[in-house]
Amino acid sequence: MVQINLPENSKISKGKYFKDKTGSKNLRKVNVYRWDPSSGENPRIDTYEVDMDNCPSKVLDILNKIKNEIDPTLTYRRSCAHGVCGSCAMNIDGKNGLACTSPHAEIDGDIDIYPLPHLKVKKDLIGDLDGLYKQYQSIEPWLKSNSKSETKEIIQSKDDRAKLDGAYECIMCACCSTSCPSYWWNGDKYLGPAVLLQAYRWIVDSRDEERAARLKKVADELKLYRCHTILNCTSACPKGLNPAKAIAEIKKMLATANI
Amino acid sequence: MENKKPLSPHIHIYKWHISSLVSISHRITGIINIIAITFICLLASLLIFGESNYDFINLFLSSLIGKFLILGLTWSFSFQILSEIRHLIMDLGYGFELRTTKITGLIVIFGSIILTVVFYLMGRNFF
Repeated sequence: MVQINLPENSKISKGKYFKDKTGSKNLRKVNVYRWDPSSGENPRIDTYEVDMDNCPSKVLDILNKIKNEIDPTLTYRRSCAHGVCGSCAMNIDGKNGLACTSPHAEIDGDIDIYPLPHLKVKKDLIGDLDGLYKQYQSIEPWLKSNSKSETKEIIQSKDDRAKLDGAYECIMCACCSTSCPSYWWNGDKYLGPAVLLQAYRWIVDSRDEERAARLKKVADELKLYRCHTILNCTSACPKGLNPAKAIAEIKKMLATANI
Repeated sequence: MENKKPLSPHIHIYKWHISSLVSISHRITGIINIIAITFICLLASLLIFGESNYDFINLFLSSLIGKFLILGLTWSFSFQILSEIRHLIMDLGYGFELRTTKITGLIVIFGSIILTVVFYLMGRNFF
């Protein structure tokens, strides 16, 4: 259901202020969402003054700098730092993206960093994505082939292979799903852009033999049709993919009985 | 412990862009239009009960509130029409590139204002 206001235990208070100790002239204020599960307190926004003269170009570099030099208690996910693993997905300056591929020079004013929106927070910038992974599992994201010969390669034409472009590159960072207002209000039932893009990826795969069953499975008022083409997903995707278009294609297949 | 986990902020921190603005406005104008059509039907059915009601409606619509209502509803109908066309095109699978959505969104926003002026002038027998 649509619930605009945050629950009582999620209301954000003003947190600590970490003044710069390096004496640098080139400072930026970074506001970071903090929540410590052991404290029993509400979430807060801590503000850090970061010396930008000695900081590489990406938002993740700022977080690393804060963790290494200012406040080691800051918690966030990161791994590859090259936009491939999708671990450091978060809300940066009001828009979802990967911290490791977002240049801080493109942000005006103070830098606001929040966890991915409308998730249960585990700690600081780490949101609970269990629900999304369960939904991902529900679309059975693997090749289903009933053909007898399982030892032989399944040939795919270049044209059929090209259909997967724009879908297979998804790294499941959840930037799109957690940017979607429909997913915020109906995330327990609506599959969301990330999972539907993957559903599409398997529906259009020429090697897969369960196309009709896959389509039937997502053809649901809540699972699929909660997409109202708000397009937050497409504008958030750090890989430049287009989940909204994939969802529209699924709807089109169902409407034209292209099964 | 499970229930104590806070919910991360969402609509209050998320940045608006053209497409999300057009989408939410589409919903709001949709609701306004349903109420408006009901209201217009009620006014029209008042006429059945005698011509004296015509003066009443005329008086109401020429008042400041009435004029504001007329202009506002002209805009919300214009917006709904253009936005609906945009949605229909999207349902056909076109216009999903980010640049295109921005352009079509702007067309809807500015087009609705232009249409409002055009409809208003038509109503005033300007043409």
